[in-house]
Amino acid sequence: MKKKKYIYGFLILSATLGSCAKLDEKPFGIINSLSFYKTAVDAEAGIIYAYTILPEVGYYGREYYLTTELPTENLTQKGDAGASNLEMDAMNPSNTNSDLDNMWRYAYRGIARANGVIVNVPGIPNMDVNTRNQIVGEGYFLRALHYFNLVRLFGEVPIRAEAIEDISQIALAKSPLKDVYDLIIADLKEADKLITKPKIGEGRAGKVAAQALLSKVYLTLASSKASGAPGYDFVTDAEAMYIEAKTYSDKVVNGQTAYGFTNKLVDVWNITLYKNASAVTEHIFDAAVDRSGDREGSFTKLPNMFMNGDRPMTIPYDPSDPLSTTINIGQGWNHFWTEAAIYNSYDSNDKRRNDLIVSKYTNSGTTYNLDINSTSRPFTRKFIDPDRIGDAQSTNSPIIRYSDILLVYAEATGPTVEGYAAVNKIRNRAGLGNLAPGLSVPAFRDAIVKERSYELTFEGHRFFDLRRTNSISKVLVQQYGKTINANYAYFFPIPLRETQSNPLIKQ
Amino acid sequence: MKTALCIAFWCFMLLLPNTLPAQQRTISGTISDDTGATVPGATIMVKGTTFKTTSNEQGKFTINAPSGEQIVVVMFLGMGTKEVKVGPNELNANISLATETRNLNEVVVVGYGTVKRSDVTGSVATLKGGDLNKTPASSVDQLLQGKIAGVQVTTGGGQPGQGATIRIRGASTLYGGKDPLVVVDGYPWGDAGNLKQINPDDIESMEVLKDASSAAIYGSRSANGVIMITTRKGRMGKPRITLTTLNTISTRAVKPDVWRNPIEEATYANEAAINAGAIASDVPYIGVSRPNGFNGFIYYPSIAELRGLDPTKPQWPTNTNWVDLVYRNPLSQSYTLSADGATEKTNYSISGNYYNEQGMVIKNGYEKYSGRLNLDQKLTTAISVGTNVVLAYTQNNGFGLGPGRSTIFPVYDTNGGYFKTSATDFGNPIALANQLLNTSKTVDFLGNIYANFKITDWLQFKSILNSKFGNSVQDLYDPINSTQRSLDNKGSFGAINNANYTDLLNENFFTINRNFGEDQKVTFLAGYSFQKSSTRLSALTGQNFVNDVLTNQNIATATTILGTNEFSPTTLASWYGRANYSLKDRYLLTLTARADGSSKFGSKNKWGYFPSGAIAWKASEESFVQSIDIISDLKFRVSYGLTGNQALGPFQTLDRFGSSKYWNGTAFVIGFGPGLAGSNDEQGNTTVGGLGNASLKWETTNQFDAGFDIGLLNQRFTLTADYYVKNTSDLLRTMSISPSAGYDFIQVNDGEISNKGFEIGLNAEVVRKSNFSWSLGANFSRNRNKVVAMGESNQIFPEGIYESVRAKITTFTVGQPLYSYYGFKTNGILQPADVASGLPDGLSVSEAQAGEIKYLDISGPEGKPDGVISEYDKTLIGNPNPDFIYSFNTKLTYKQFDFSAQMYGVEGNDVWDFQKLTPSRQLKRWTLDNPSNDFPRARNNPGYKPSDFFITDGSFLRLQNATIGYTIKPKAQKYLKNLRVFISGNNLYTFTKFNVGYDPELGENGVNNGAYPRPRAFSLGLNAGF
Repeated sequence: MKKKKYIYGFLILSATLGSCAKLDEKPFGIINSLSFYKTAVDAEAGIIYAYTILPEVGYYGREYYLTTELPTENLTQKGDAGASNLEMDAMNPSNTNSDLDNMWRYAYRGIARANGVIVNVPGIPNMDVNTRNQIVGEGYFLRALHYFNLVRLFGEVPIRAEAIEDISQIALAKSPLKDVYDLIIADLKEADKLITKPKIGEGRAGKVAAQALLSKVYLTLASSKASGAPGYDFVTDAEAMYIEAKTYSDKVVNGQTAYGFTNKLVDVWNITLYKNASAVTEHIFDAAVDRSGDREGSFTKLPNMFMNGDRPMTIPYDPSDPLSTTINIGQGWNHFWTEAAIYNSYDSNDKRRNDLIVSKYTNSGTTYNLDINSTSRPFTRKFIDPDRIGDAQSTNSPIIRYSDILLVYAEATGPTVEGYAAVNKIRNRAGLGNLAPGLSVPAFRDAIVKERSYELTFEGHRFFDLRRTNSISKVLVQQYGKTINANYAYFFPIPLRETQSNPLIKQ
Repeated sequence: MKTALCIAFWCFMLLLPNTLPAQQRTISGTISDDTGATVPGATIMVKGTTFKTTSNEQGKFTINAPSGEQIVVVMFLGMGTKEVKVGPNELNANISLATETRNLNEVVVVGYGTVKRSDVTGSVATLKGGDLNKTPASSVDQLLQGKIAGVQVTTGGGQPGQGATIRIRGASTLYGGKDPLVVVDGYPWGDAGNLKQINPDDIESMEVLKDASSAAIYGSRSANGVIMITTRKGRMGKPRITLTTLNTISTRAVKPDVWRNPIEEATYANEAAINAGAIASDVPYIGVSRPNGFNGFIYYPSIAELRGLDPTKPQWPTNTNWVDLVYRNPLSQSYTLSADGATEKTNYSISGNYYNEQGMVIKNGYEKYSGRLNLDQKLTTAISVGTNVVLAYTQNNGFGLGPGRSTIFPVYDTNGGYFKTSATDFGNPIALANQLLNTSKTVDFLGNIYANFKITDWLQFKSILNSKFGNSVQDLYDPINSTQRSLDNKGSFGAINNANYTDLLNENFFTINRNFGEDQKVTFLAGYSFQKSSTRLSALTGQNFVNDVLTNQNIATATTILGTNEFSPTTLASWYGRANYSLKDRYLLTLTARADGSSKFGSKNKWGYFPSGAIAWKASEESFVQSIDIISDLKFRVSYGLTGNQALGPFQTLDRFGSSKYWNGTAFVIGFGPGLAGSNDEQGNTTVGGLGNASLKWETTNQFDAGFDIGLLNQRFTLTADYYVKNTSDLLRTMSISPSAGYDFIQVNDGEISNKGFEIGLNAEVVRKSNFSWSLGANFSRNRNKVVAMGESNQIFPEGIYESVRAKITTFTVGQPLYSYYGFKTNGILQPADVASGLPDGLSVSEAQAGEIKYLDISGPEGKPDGVISEYDKTLIGNPNPDFIYSFNTKLTYKQFDFSAQMYGVEGNDVWDFQKLTPSRQLKRWTLDNPSNDFPRARNNPGYKPSDFFITDGSFLRLQNATIGYTIKPKAQKYLKNLRVFISGNNLYTFTKFNVGYDPELGENGVNNGAYPRPRAFSLGLNAGF
């Protein structure tokens, strides 16, 4: 029958279509663990991905400054800022504080990305050994940086040292401070060993960066122990740590020529100068951005957080020079407010206030003065981009700066000739005289910490300096009259998001 | 309701048949359809006799009948049957086949077939196309509002081209799609919401499959219910040509609450600045010039100057009426021209529609062209083939804008440019409307071809090849420094966003229809289908163009060019079957099952199985019920079964790496690695996923339904009631994992949600005469929605941060309905006495002043008030889900006049009203002289905490539609066969206590952020048959 033929035809047709029913899928446009870490190019892409976490808004793009500057005497925030900012300012964060939550998440994302490199790149076949070593070394450096941030913010944290492939790996207990520092030191020593180039390029960590960070780690251990900062009893010998800090900072200060001291203060913060690949600059390690990027994270809006928001501003490039050219720096959001505490405590001749903090500007020929007690306050010009495109700016977030390490060297060395020379170099540049000679070791180290607060203001160091010298209460409460929650003076609470979802962590 | 019942009963009594001796007589008349068009070829019978005839080409008939009152039955393919009583002395009966929804013999469309209304075992509601309100509607979804019990339809505003949100028996998923599946002429198109491709004039009927038994034939896509749409088919007889037009003018339904007096506005602004701590020179309206960022100055008048009391200056001249500039009384049009007809072998229906809807906001509008062809041809007695084709083209221009700008400043500056108060003032709506480009165009082609083989009398085989293709292009351009987005994109922003989707579906199924003896009937369906779909997206973005001449026409000329693309293929293979068994035409059993295998499911769970069953008892067929004359229908139904929701996107079961760019000093370089950025939160922070889970699968809903249908007095009074319990488990959700792993979430199936409720639909034909009829109907739906479990968490904040309160406000909370609100409790406004007696800690300096909102300290770390306003004091403060929704409708025809009206109400839902402090309320603000306890003092950038201060009752009852029509029956029938004109009003009045100036009908989460105004529409319509 004809009819039957048709039916068979349709049955065959449908059976054919049915046999196409392959239900497995391959991701389109997405790389995954099956297709990646196969070649040298993948290794490079893997380490780049590990770096890209740094300039994100949730990390050095904004959040690092919110968490480390607001609690100090340097910055407070505008009146209608979010609750988490207010909590940070009062050093009274809840375990749902979104600023701390971001720091936690971004640091650990960075660790996961670094682990991807550390675990997988050594197994990539047919790869140049030096390149491989450098990439893996950078992975170790980045992992150490993230743990150094975490341990200083939160104290005991879980140590993730392998790549996560399955949900069963997720529950993990906290490790004691000692273990965390052991990992940091081991990673940085590995980085120092594997990386041979002192400088790799903008935004990348070379050998100098690894040594510099290691000196900071040792100084943190040394001064924490020496000052009796909570949690650092495990350090057996503060002096030994000072010696290590001196050893590694000495390599940076005296053992290399890739980075160096910039003689003119405003030039330290001139992005055209410090982004020049062949220049010797203070910027040992930055989170790199460029205004040609396509989103915040590849460019930065960090300057807007500091800058006054009333109107576009014109300022002299070098306020110390009456003939200086002027630069247009646009306007910001007036989110951070400089505190009178720090502003009024500068020496009146200190160029770090007079040249690096904008207290007046012009617009359309009118001069506007910024009053430290008003809602439109003087603001730092460490973060400006005169060539900004809209809000997109090229201002790198400085993570390790030569002057920082110079002061690490001074502090580690103590009141020796070299120690005095290092700190006086910093003071003289700022237009100040030499530090009083003949100070005792503790007095000298106190003076260095003080100097750091003026030299490194708004760069996210002050808070950690106060913690490692056990002086949170002494400075913030007794000296400046701030109200803080003493429970969180030395370690912030681990975010609820972590304690809720990680059964092995108890707050 | 009681009244309706009484009236129905009384009418019935009047019409009781008289017994008279049998004598012959004739009855003549005309048969017409719901549009008033005459219907040729209809079968006319006199009930209980053998008299039978068909209507002629003019739709006229003459039939012999016994004397006395008779029931004339009219049957017409595709329009069901109609019974009309003809009194003993009536010689003429003009019978309209207009929709009669409660007819027991009408055919109900279910998945892969049809069934007689009286044989339905599940919960299936039918809406006839003719019962849709006549109002401009770019998609049919919004017209379903208030029409069917158990179906909630909300539209988020009145923007042209906007769709609607449809929920059948509540929302039963957290993150999966909540929209019902739409099946058009047997082809599952996808999610309901914006069904723009179907012209409402083309719809013959819509069936809503609500319970598991009726929906489960669509397996893993049926958990949200199924909407079956059947388009018009041809009718026997000569070709019918119909023209339908609808011309509409709309007005604003609510009066926008904006500043209308510059003095009041300036006074408020000054006060707000002072209260926020502004220094004297920064108070705005004090008669000074301020630089505006363009090397120019803006002069801010003083209040004295605004009043005309400054002796040195003339009175300030500007008082801009932004409402009249931004809004208009828009015009809309819709024209449908259709032709259909049928012979013994061929059945065709073809139509075309042009639709144009202007928006309330200037420069905003929507235009649509659509066409449809249905064709069916019998090749032999056994084989028929056919096709359904739909084409649609739409274009959307412009966007919504608000009129809330300051009245003090003008539209244009002195140079003829748009006035801006500063370089970053992007609030001039006239500038935005004229400068920005925002259009989107879509093209859709949907069609199928099929062949049906009647192998034997009882066995059929049907094979269908369905395909759809759609494409959309969006053009965007923000000129240099015109918007924040242009600034964010380094000056100017241009984009071209492309999307296209393709779908190929092959269905093959057998249908068996057999009777075994007198008492047993069996229908059996079994089939296999295979479907491949894909969506492909690409977007080109240009940043920083040289000038604004080319707009987005040449993205290559932008300084920075960005591109993104995405491809999401899915494959679905299915086996399905259904058995209907009927014993003695009174005991009915339906068993349904579907097996779905999807590429989206994890490798450990590729196939899902969805069985269901239903039993029904037609008590009205039992002799002890039949003896009760008044009962014409009585049926009890119970069903239970599993339905599914695919919820997943493609590739979610696999591990996926992310990528990002880093500046290397000279260029950006790309990196790849673990951690895939998910959605950004409001502060630009991303959440990270990408960890695979091979166990991922569908969500399963098990639903129990019990209901009954009762019809009285020959179906003049009908009531359908259903009770249901729906429990959905294996909810797909993003489980938070410890962020120390480097990931924030992984997709898992766990968690449970429940929906329980009941729904009642009733209808009373109070008067049913040939030239006078009046019916009343009502629907009532009550749904209780509750999150039962969500794995490890008791509370999830599913939405981003709302900037004005800098907090997330909607939650999924265990034990609570979806989107329950979370925030502080308040008790009015702080008065000086409160401040004097001491306030809790935790308030900012500004918040701790008289005139601010008074937040309550209700808890603390120890679970009791601790004297600090902190996160511990936040609690659940509202529920946006209504207690119930209801609607009433009535329809009246008298001779050539007809009238219909519909009311729709929502009761007991909370709204989070971010527009609470509108100017009329700001005038009532707290001041020392006016110690208001309702509205706080003026203060710039108040940064209020999320609190119940913003929560308002959103209940409303709306006179949604009223239509009056008149049908002209031309004497000369040469060209024009019939003509109906009507006037229809939509959104006529809303009874509500909600914020004046806003419409209480909002999106699913009930947040009022100032939606696009919903117009009050007045339409003049015309139906002409040729």
